[in-house]
Amino acid sequence: MSNTKIITNNWGKIDPDKIESYIAVGGYSALKKFIRDLDAQTVLAEIKKSGLCGRGGAGFSTGDKLSLVATQGGEKYFICNLDESEPGTHKDRSIVDNNPHVLLEGIILSSLIIGAKKAFIYINGHYEKQKEILEMALEQAEKNEFLGRGIIGSCYDLEVEIFQGAGAYVCGEETALINSMEGNRGEPKLRPPYPTGSGLWGKPTCVNNAETVSNIPWIILNGADAYSKIGAPCSPGTKLYILGGSIRNPGVVEAPTGITIRELIFNFGGGLPRGKEFWFTQIGGASGHLVLESELDTPLTFSRECPVSLGSGAILVVDRSVNIYDLILSWTGFFRRESCGKCLSCREGTFRLHEIAGRLQDGEISDRDKESLKDILWTLNNTTFCPLGKFAATAMGDAILKLKILGD
Amino acid sequence: MQIKINNKKYEVEEGETVLDVCRREGIRIPTLCAFEGLPREAVCRLCLVEITLTDKLVTSCTLKVCEKLEVTTESERIEKARRINLELLWADHAGKCATCKRNRMCELQKLAEEYKIENFHFVPRKGEITSSEELNLTKDNWSRVVVENENPCVSRNSEFCVECRRCINICPEKKFGFNHRAGDVVVGTPYGEVLDCGFCGECVRACPVAALTDQNDFSKIIESLDDIKKMAVAVVDAGMEEKISKQFSKMDRREKLEDILSKLGFEKIINISEKDAEDEVIKKIKTDYARKEKINPEDIVVFFISSKISKKAEKGKYLNYVLSEREVVRLVRDKKII
Repeated sequence: MSNTKIITNNWGKIDPDKIESYIAVGGYSALKKFIRDLDAQTVLAEIKKSGLCGRGGAGFSTGDKLSLVATQGGEKYFICNLDESEPGTHKDRSIVDNNPHVLLEGIILSSLIIGAKKAFIYINGHYEKQKEILEMALEQAEKNEFLGRGIIGSCYDLEVEIFQGAGAYVCGEETALINSMEGNRGEPKLRPPYPTGSGLWGKPTCVNNAETVSNIPWIILNGADAYSKIGAPCSPGTKLYILGGSIRNPGVVEAPTGITIRELIFNFGGGLPRGKEFWFTQIGGASGHLVLESELDTPLTFSRECPVSLGSGAILVVDRSVNIYDLILSWTGFFRRESCGKCLSCREGTFRLHEIAGRLQDGEISDRDKESLKDILWTLNNTTFCPLGKFAATAMGDAILKLKILGD
Repeated sequence: MQIKINNKKYEVEEGETVLDVCRREGIRIPTLCAFEGLPREAVCRLCLVEITLTDKLVTSCTLKVCEKLEVTTESERIEKARRINLELLWADHAGKCATCKRNRMCELQKLAEEYKIENFHFVPRKGEITSSEELNLTKDNWSRVVVENENPCVSRNSEFCVECRRCINICPEKKFGFNHRAGDVVVGTPYGEVLDCGFCGECVRACPVAALTDQNDFSKIIESLDDIKKMAVAVVDAGMEEKISKQFSKMDRREKLEDILSKLGFEKIINISEKDAEDEVIKKIKTDYARKEKINPEDIVVFFISSKISKKAEKGKYLNYVLSEREVVRLVRDKKII
């Protein structure tokens, strides 16, 4: 398996506070190449060919999304989604901490490709330090003429603005994110219209995850063919995985897609700490599926055929010493707080799920609760307005199915 | 264009939603949030139907008709979805039907009857808690409640609220919104202030339950209507006959307004038209009319029967009470005269 590093390549080698440091390792050469030798059409075709897909979790083709906006005229916007609030996920934060300019270069390139003159970085309200890093990076980029009017002597103009969210999980969903930027309540909108057609202030808008965006400079420099050779053919490239929980080396690692969970935990993460026995792992944060020992050889991809959805890339390793009821209470508590409350099934469903999880922890669960648990999970899976309902039901559903927390 | 609903063909027009078609054709689909001309929010998750294009349940209120569309409005799965969601909603509802202002006129109560919902699966949310108190999320399942009776016209009690958003969307002054998040959501005013607006009454008209009702002192009204020493005069605003009969139809009743009012204890009924200045008419009762009939103005109780609930704020020397179409029906219901 290839050891290509796309995003983490320069982590630790460069000073994130200094643009010179990034330029010294070849930073912003993708932008220069684009302005000197390429046009938007060619780059768009290249991104499509690379097979890059959304790293936020949904896995939609990035090239397709960009061209949906690029083909439209008039005013349009590019938004970098840095709302990252999935529990146990901090890959986007690490990108900003270690190399903010690769992200910025990606944002500039994406905006120029779609023809946007204004881009936003929607940053999680809790990321105070990262906001400061980005502000500094923006200032430096502007001084170096990578931003503003007439980027490096060309006729391209671009303004990038940081928008700080208030820390709501649901605002990672693009229509909720746009609602929040427009000054409305952070809750998903009815689709269609999709943001690519009518997004921020009703204008065509492309919302891409920070990790996705950070891949763009590499693709422009190295070509689509080189990119598509990395990782699983169905969703090529590398992915940032966040190892956490009962693991010897926790943190963010970059590895190709298609890697198995076992390799990640035991090769990259160094396995479990001494004396701990593996129980299960959760892939993709609080909304992720639970994976048992027997399924550890599943390759992780964004494809729909993949039995385990990669989600945000968070890998939580749980050992036998963990009290599962505490963990369930934390999952359900998260969604009980973070549901926006717009639709009935999610608002009441997440509330009831957490209520029952509380009784489960106290050992007071009744037969009536067991019955209603089935109903709640069913309605969360089938009748909610946005996918958050389904997310809220995933871990609990798996705990019942795979961990048999209610018995057989 | 033609679409199929429950295997029967219907002629439809482009831009219509499946719910629109079903309402027009008399096909029953339960819903709490879709209301007259308001934007379709699809938040009550009750109007779910099945279509051939996808395995998922879709909300009929937002589903636009298209060629080759085949809709099923009744199936085991749809029934299950509606039952569970109604049960969840019902357990969050006050469940005080017997003493409720909207008893027998409530849309949720009707649905609960239709789907045989009872508080069996879910523990009802215990009671009320003000937003300043902290909730113990795991131990208590109390819901946040806003009760406000300080404004002169609209009585608010979110204990009954079903979060359908009708009031939020219908208010021309945008006075309402969702406060808090998730299970703590409560429909309220910005910063929880006392409602202060033009009191057009649209929110009260739109509310499917008793969360927003007409402000009034009902026991005093009944007392003065029953008092034989007092003379109750009703000034009936233009168009009220129709509005009141529409309210009665919610209770499957048809009554003539004049009969109802006299049965309620009104001794004199004055119908006014749109051209009349209502204030003048009302003023004349306790002055000119009282002088002519030699009645002590103190013994006359003047009621203005009108949808203009903002008039409630103008009660005073010449006007004692304002009754909306809903309150007339409520009086009839409480006094058991039909």
